[in-house]
Amino acid sequence: MEFEWSEEDRSYRAELRAFIEESLPDDWEEISKGGPGSDAQAKFSREFCAKMAERGWLTQHWPVELGGQGASPWRHAIVGEEMWTVGEPRGQQYMSVNWVGPTILEFGTEEQKDVHVSRIVRGDSLWCQGFSEPEAGSDLAALRTLAIRDGDDYVVNGSKIWTSYVEYADFCFLLVRTDPESKGRHGITVLLCPVDLPGIELREIPAVIGDRYFHEVFFDDVRVPVSCRLGEEGGGWPIVTFSLAFERVGAARYARASFTLDAIAEEAKRLGRLSDPVVQEKLGRARSRVEAARLLNYRIIDLRVHGSPPTADTNLARVAGTQAESAVSELALEIFGSEALAYGHFAEVYFRLAMWSGVATGTTEVNLNLVASRMLGLPRE
Amino acid sequence: MDFELDDDQQAIMEAVGSLLAQRAGAARAVELGREGKYDGELEAALDEAGFLDVALADETGMLEAVLVTEAVAAAAGVAAVGEASIVAPGLLGERPAGAVAVVCAGAGELVRFAAHARTLLVDRGDTASRVDLSPVANESVRSNFMVPVARVDVDSLEGESLGTGSGATLRRYWRLAIAAECAGLMSAALDLTVAYTKERRQFGRAIGSFQALQHRLAYCKVAVEATRWLTYEAAASDADAEKTALAAAYAADAAQQLFVETHQITGAMGYTREHDLHVFSMRLRPLMLALGGASAHARAATGARWLDGAG
Repeated sequence: MEFEWSEEDRSYRAELRAFIEESLPDDWEEISKGGPGSDAQAKFSREFCAKMAERGWLTQHWPVELGGQGASPWRHAIVGEEMWTVGEPRGQQYMSVNWVGPTILEFGTEEQKDVHVSRIVRGDSLWCQGFSEPEAGSDLAALRTLAIRDGDDYVVNGSKIWTSYVEYADFCFLLVRTDPESKGRHGITVLLCPVDLPGIELREIPAVIGDRYFHEVFFDDVRVPVSCRLGEEGGGWPIVTFSLAFERVGAARYARASFTLDAIAEEAKRLGRLSDPVVQEKLGRARSRVEAARLLNYRIIDLRVHGSPPTADTNLARVAGTQAESAVSELALEIFGSEALAYGHFAEVYFRLAMWSGVATGTTEVNLNLVASRMLGLPRE
Repeated sequence: MDFELDDDQQAIMEAVGSLLAQRAGAARAVELGREGKYDGELEAALDEAGFLDVALADETGMLEAVLVTEAVAAAAGVAAVGEASIVAPGLLGERPAGAVAVVCAGAGELVRFAAHARTLLVDRGDTASRVDLSPVANESVRSNFMVPVARVDVDSLEGESLGTGSGATLRRYWRLAIAAECAGLMSAALDLTVAYTKERRQFGRAIGSFQALQHRLAYCKVAVEATRWLTYEAAASDADAEKTALAAAYAADAAQQLFVETHQITGAMGYTREHDLHVFSMRLRPLMLALGGASAHARAATGARWLDGAG
């Protein structure tokens, strides 16, 4: 066991920090207060990602022949930490590099890799995720959006919900049912669907967690070429499982929690409250939760480095992450007090990010189910 | 970064595992516990095989001492392994002969392993001191908490002061030892409870199939695994003040959670001496009290991170 960063990784982190500092404008806090889906941040992240891509930093953990640098997953984890610490200037791009790209690399045809991978490497394609439906949330396998084969196309009808970032997306990683008779995990297919096809309509669902987070996406006789299918027809479920394993840990939310907690302690000090044993206790406990989340996330990266297939360690880390974010966000409001009521205040922005941690990318309950069945071997209900 | 055991660590774990399989175990702990006995034989065997000296050996260090302490606790070994293999080497730079006990002055007189220990390490705040207990007869006190306990008149034992700052050093290693022992005990308690829910049938099915229990057990799993990694990282950091305090704070909170949940889920059976849960669960309690418990550890972590070590 070894818990130190290598000299190389440390100097890379320093270089990355310098890059971030130089690239973020003075009004970054203002730009980022609406969240990664907001108009301001979406616009900014396009430029920012292009600069990242120039340095090869968006996808350095990918194989060299696919536009990466063959760097270790630890390197990508450093990128995630530094990005999340400052509020994720990559915007929605983090999804492309964390899970969309790796999933296409794993399951895609050569042509799909050609089309999508190089664009992701360059940072000029944005993705959204078409998973949840009105009747299929935690029970994802209950999805009903239909795609019926007609010649060289699938004709898609149905709707997706809670879709983030769709307004600026170029493609949707879309789950559909290609066999109308099928149930559950069978008969599900993945389509890499351009979002500008005729028949796709959007509706934003206004949300307290930020601008442009939630949308409904309606598909009305949308013709999606068969060449957009990822993997086999009806073979979508293993692809979903694969992508979720990456998605659930791709976001270094604990890094933002850690940064925020330091700022909370700083504020407590300024207010003369850091000598209060109750405040000390809460800060210490919150920090222990953040560190727990960081280490459980590192464990997954380590498993990946060792070539392990995805395990329920991912779910464990996700649950710990939510616990950490909850502890930090409670304390953010408590210490910053009424100032945190102002929209866009540092503590408010964090609270908004943290408050839905237990629902984003799969609910805590689903994660607990997977820990129970896969790690503890408990029988299904 | 590498979270896998290296070859040497794997070899140590296998060797200590087979020693423990022969000489420790819940049944033995129950037998010893009946009369509040200390497992001197186990201690001698661990000593002879070198497992108590890994912290100071050339090729190994605190991380290996933590792994050994965790394994002994998970096997219900009734010996002061964390005290001997983590705290004493960390504080003294050597391991004294015989068993070691640790106490915080002013925090009560009942001390784990004090009737059998030959060395007592005392946290006196700024300083720590080392007391030779050989000539002292500490009175054993009957305890239900599955480790032998004795009454120590700490104020009457001056011992050798280890100098300014030694108190903080003692606390760093003590917190590490607490966290490591909690990790082993909690892991065993959870395993027993999970196994119980797979066998115990009510309403026509295994109670482990109820989501109401599954979620709580899964939360326990999060707590156990997080404790382990926090503890390992703290050990590998040379028992850094913040990291050890965080590991102990997390461990003590996790221990409370594990105690409550494992007992609730095993029902009346878990309260009997015919089921092994109590061997591990009851022993968590004295660890949760040590050094002021979770809130004191959490304050210490805050002190180390945000108050220049104060607190």
